[in-house]
Amino acid sequence: MSWASVVAARLRGLFGHKRLERELDDEVRFHLEMQIEDNLKAGMNPAEARYAALRSFGGIEPMKERYRERRAFALVETMAQDVRYAVRTLRKSPGFTTTSVATLALAIGANTAMFSVLNAVLLRPLPYRSPEQLAMLWSEVPSQNLREGRSAYWNVEQWRSQSESFADMALFDGVSSTLTSADRAEKISVVRHSPNLFPLLGVQPLHGRIFSAEEAEQRQRVALISHRFWQGRFGGSFDAIGSSIELDGLPSRIIGILPAGFQFDNDADVWEPHTMFPDWEAIRRSRGGGFWSVIGRLQPNVTFEQAQAEMSAIARRLDEQAPASDPNRGISVVPLSLQVTGPRPRLALWMLMGAVFCVLLIAATNVASLQLGRSASCEREIAIRAALGASRARIVRQLLAESLTLAVIAGLLGLWVALAGIRAILAVKPGNLARLNEVSLDPQVLGWALATCLLTGILVGLAPAITMSRRNLTPSGQEGGRGIAGGVATRRIRRALVVAQFALAIILLVGAGLLVRSLWSVENVDPGFRPERVLSMHLSTTAFRATAQRADFYNRVLEQVESLPGVESLGITSELFIGGNPERELTAEGDARTISERLRFRSDEISGGFFKAVGTPLLRGRFFSKADKPDSPRVAIISDAMARRLWPGRDPVGKRFRLGPGDSDTPWFTVVGVVGDMRRQGLEKEPIPQMFEPLAQNPPRLAILLVRTSMSDPLKMVGAVQAAVRRVEKHAPVYGVTTLENRLGAFLSERRFQTSLLIGFSVVALLMAAIGIYGLIQYSVATRTHEIGIRMAVGAQAGDVFRMIIGEGLKLSLTGLVLGLVGALWLGQAGSSLLFGVTATDPLTFITVSLLLTAVATAACYFPARRAMKVEPIVALRQE
Amino acid sequence: MRSARTDKADVLQGTLILLVLRTLEALGPLHGYGIARRIEQISKDVLRLNQGTLYPALLRMEQEGWIASKWGASEKNRKARFYSITAAGRRRLARETEDWRRMSSTIERFLGFEPGA
Repeated sequence: MSWASVVAARLRGLFGHKRLERELDDEVRFHLEMQIEDNLKAGMNPAEARYAALRSFGGIEPMKERYRERRAFALVETMAQDVRYAVRTLRKSPGFTTTSVATLALAIGANTAMFSVLNAVLLRPLPYRSPEQLAMLWSEVPSQNLREGRSAYWNVEQWRSQSESFADMALFDGVSSTLTSADRAEKISVVRHSPNLFPLLGVQPLHGRIFSAEEAEQRQRVALISHRFWQGRFGGSFDAIGSSIELDGLPSRIIGILPAGFQFDNDADVWEPHTMFPDWEAIRRSRGGGFWSVIGRLQPNVTFEQAQAEMSAIARRLDEQAPASDPNRGISVVPLSLQVTGPRPRLALWMLMGAVFCVLLIAATNVASLQLGRSASCEREIAIRAALGASRARIVRQLLAESLTLAVIAGLLGLWVALAGIRAILAVKPGNLARLNEVSLDPQVLGWALATCLLTGILVGLAPAITMSRRNLTPSGQEGGRGIAGGVATRRIRRALVVAQFALAIILLVGAGLLVRSLWSVENVDPGFRPERVLSMHLSTTAFRATAQRADFYNRVLEQVESLPGVESLGITSELFIGGNPERELTAEGDARTISERLRFRSDEISGGFFKAVGTPLLRGRFFSKADKPDSPRVAIISDAMARRLWPGRDPVGKRFRLGPGDSDTPWFTVVGVVGDMRRQGLEKEPIPQMFEPLAQNPPRLAILLVRTSMSDPLKMVGAVQAAVRRVEKHAPVYGVTTLENRLGAFLSERRFQTSLLIGFSVVALLMAAIGIYGLIQYSVATRTHEIGIRMAVGAQAGDVFRMIIGEGLKLSLTGLVLGLVGALWLGQAGSSLLFGVTATDPLTFITVSLLLTAVATAACYFPARRAMKVEPIVALRQE
Repeated sequence: MRSARTDKADVLQGTLILLVLRTLEALGPLHGYGIARRIEQISKDVLRLNQGTLYPALLRMEQEGWIASKWGASEKNRKARFYSITAAGRRRLARETEDWRRMSSTIERFLGFEPGA
């Protein structure tokens, strides 16, 4: 009976109860019928024959009862016996047990922790009703390389009325508003959305109500607030409903509170009607490109593909009516689950999960290899047990029970490791992974831990079980302990395990190497400014109603702070680091003609010293000066990317442009300077075109003060700078104080986290592989002492023996190396989007990793080889 | 056909295993009734087998891996469960046989021992 059929029999015992009962009935009936027939042949009459048969059988029901008991008992009893036996043998070799349990516990723990992240971020359904029906709808213009673009109100209305595959569509846009209270002002994120958004998501407010279509149409200033905002601002009091908050200087009435777990669009705090935009009427009429994000709910039984096909058809119809200036606008339907966690974090998570799973495989392999070595030495005992009548199945079962016991103990410890791991991950908060805060040890994660446990147990026990079931289990005196231990099958399997370990370790190391190279590339990217020694803090001027007052406040702050000792230069900007930007229309005067075009660009207001403070070079023209007064002609400084885009190959200084289409009445800006590109969306994103206008001509409500200091730790100046601001305005809020380096570093946190995790995993993998090969070679030397003795007795030099042993190890590690490199090349293609500034086939990484691995393998084989060299032929031969 | 004679010994559980294994080794695959008949025939009605006790014993032996069972057609083309001995069963049989011989010869010697002879 093979172990598979043992398992099958067990499962039948657990699940096939009815069938077993029927079989027992059949068997008893068959027995009685045969007996009755024989009795009839012997000359009894039918009644007698039947009676005699029943009597000779004995009580049927008591017998069935014993049969059933036996069946149930055997299941529990043999299991208990196996486990008892396993615990006993494990206790007999504490070294092996401790090593194995620790190795497996770490691997299972790391796996469980990683899975809990994967589960929370990717696998757990989104907290909306039937989230699998939700999709985002984006505009796309392939000719302008615009994908997942936002849409105009008119277009969305058309989609909504024409589409049959969507039950409903809602639109929303995240904006940043200034929340003013008695003593301070701050920026909060606000979502403006159509009234059907919450019904579409299937989310009910915790208290109060959502706003109606009529309220939105009448542009009533009503707002819903997040649970967090409710707790923070109102202490969870029900007085919140009906009270009012001031957003961008206007009061809004709170009508509802959203539930605690609700998440949508970057944790906004306030939700208000989509009609809140001051230029709503213009927005309502706009066509083509817009700034709305659109979410839709599919009709039941409609697939995303069907919806996509229908939306493409609608897009073509709309295209025919669209003006020629806006050609080929398509619509793309993206399932919401894919949207929430973008393809890159998704890929990164799967990569890390794969890596940690490799670590588990290597750990299990290592323990299996140890187990094989050990089972070889226990072989005599096993052979004796076999001779005493233990069936092969029983022995295999015991070996499996041993490894499963090992795995379960490791799994329990692993849960503890996982908890620590989860805590560490939450403390680091890598980058801005959506839904990371939902990470926990929930039933799915526990299920996963159990599954990894069982898998590990079976993997570990499989190799010894297979070699055992193949072998002739007779105790053979002439072979002796040594002879059996060197069993060909055992050795072959252990070698294969070592090769597999090396291959997996190589794949992880190459991955880690490529990520390290990417991290270096990102760190060496020129952000377009010099962040060292620069202090960054937010200022608010919402206390001032008039723009002139705001401009005056900023000027006086600059004067006060500039006079402080330790300040080298300083500047103010409306914003520094930015997220995505909608495309906007812009009209630029050319040499020959004026061109309007849509493009994504960023516009900010800055003080004259801003570029000097952040260290961005002036390429042409001049910086702003005191001469750029509120009433003087509007001027702008543009970034190099903007200059190349609007006036390719020509000097932009002196050229003019205006926001909006050519016939709009917005003011013309005259370009007075061109500055270097700044990477303000993160180091890995190409800088987008940027324009800047003087602070004095359009002072923002909130701004960032940047102070370049002469100190190595700019934070030492915080107190002095704050005091200087307070001298200007006693109650002026100063918040969000940090250094520019910190803010820039935040962009790297996700990549740093991924890289350091993968480095950790691959170092562990490498160590385990090294231990694996060391153990194998060590063992091989120990079993070959006799052979080595003979070799040396017939004239082999110590050097020959040394080379022979090292060669054995290197052959294995090099085989693993080649397999691993092939695997790494193959997987590298799949993961190439995680890389930056390095290709997936980077020769330097591959060569370094190969050398490292060969060095480690050589080192691991060195000590056993040294030992082999020192074998005394006489001693070795006498051992026999 | 048997009658309840008082001088018949009940088959001991340990002995039953030996008898079943020996029967299956000698005759090849057999159903439960066949095994019972064979044991009764060989023992010439000296041993009384409570036939019902055979089945739990067969189950236990199968669980230990000494015998295997398979459903098949009987000589009269009826569905029956056939038992056969496994390799582990043969080893077990060898050991039980040896044990039994050693035990019975010891007891024989013991009984044949004449005090004072």
